[in-house]
Amino acid sequence: MARIRREGCRQLTISRVKRTPGRIKPADIVLIALFVVAAAVSLFLVSRASAGEKGSLAIIEVNGKEVKRIAIGGGQPERKFIVHGVNGTSTVEVKDGRIRMVRSTCRDKICIGVGWIDSRGKEIVCLPNRVVVRITGKRGGNGRVDTVTE
Amino acid sequence: MTPTRRVTNLALLVSVGLVLSIIESTFPPLLPAPGAKLGLANIATVIALYLFGAGMALEVTILRALIGGLLRGSVVGLFLSFSGGLVSTLVMIALFALFDDSFSVIGVSVAGAVTHNVIQLLAAWLLVRHAALFYYMPYLILIAVPTGLFVGLASRRVTLSLQGLPLQSR
Repeated sequence: MARIRREGCRQLTISRVKRTPGRIKPADIVLIALFVVAAAVSLFLVSRASAGEKGSLAIIEVNGKEVKRIAIGGGQPERKFIVHGVNGTSTVEVKDGRIRMVRSTCRDKICIGVGWIDSRGKEIVCLPNRVVVRITGKRGGNGRVDTVTE
Repeated sequence: MTPTRRVTNLALLVSVGLVLSIIESTFPPLLPAPGAKLGLANIATVIALYLFGAGMALEVTILRALIGGLLRGSVVGLFLSFSGGLVSTLVMIALFALFDDSFSVIGVSVAGAVTHNVIQLLAAWLLVRHAALFYYMPYLILIAVPTGLFVGLASRRVTLSLQGLPLQSR
C-alpha cells in the first residue's frame, strides 16, 4: 500500500535525476549533425547579408601606406590609375562600381587573377609590388568590426 | 550526503573549475572571437552534473563564474561568462534530465559548448550593439563541436574514475 502510494505521488524532480556518463549514443550524433547544419545555415545567412554591402570607396596602399582613395560608387566614370609599387607599376581600373587590377609588373599575376571586387572588406593584394587595393563602406571606416571585447 | 560533505564537494568542484580556467587562459586563443575557448572549466560542471545531479551543477557554474569574475576583476568578463555559463548549464541539465537517457555525456557537453558560445556572442552584442559580431556565429558554433567533444570525453573519464570513491557517504 505504502509502495503504491509512493509510486503515485512520485514527482519527476529534475534535481533527483541520476545518470551514468555512458558511451556515445545515436541521439548525440543527431545533435552534433544538427549543430553542424546550424553552423552552415548561419554561414549562409551571414554571407548573404554581407554580399549586399557594396563598398563605395577603394583605398590603395603601397607598403602599408595609403597612397590614394578612389570613389567607386555607381555613376563614377570609367578610369584607370597607375600605382607605383615597390617592384614596378600596377594599373587598376574602375568601372561600374567595381575595381580590378589590369596590369602589374609582378611575376605571378595573382592580383590580376582576383578579378573585379565590389564588396566591403574585399581586397586585392599584390605581394611582390606591396600594393593593396581595399574596399570600404564610406570615407574613414574600414568596414570591419570596431572593437572586440572579451 | 551530509551538509558538510556537500559543501566540501561543491568547494572542490568550484576550485577545479577555477584552476582549469586559469590554466586555459595561458593557451593561445583558438579564434580571434569572443567566446571561442576550449571550455576546460566546463569539465567541473559536467562532472558535478553526473556525480551529484542538476542542483550541484548549477551551483558550481554560478560560483565559478562569480569568483572567476572577481579574480579577473572585469565586470564585462563576469557578465559574459555568467550569462554563457548559466544558460549552457540549463541546456545541459535539460538534455541530461528530460530526455530519458537518450543523450550521453558527449551530446550533453557538445550542446553546452554550443550554447555557451552562442549566448556569449549574444551577450557581447548586447554590450557593443554591433551587428558585425554575428559574422563570428558560424565559426563559434562549429568550433564548439570539437571542444565540446573533448570536454565530454574528459568528463566521462573523470566521472567514471570518481564514481568508485565514497563521495556520497558520511
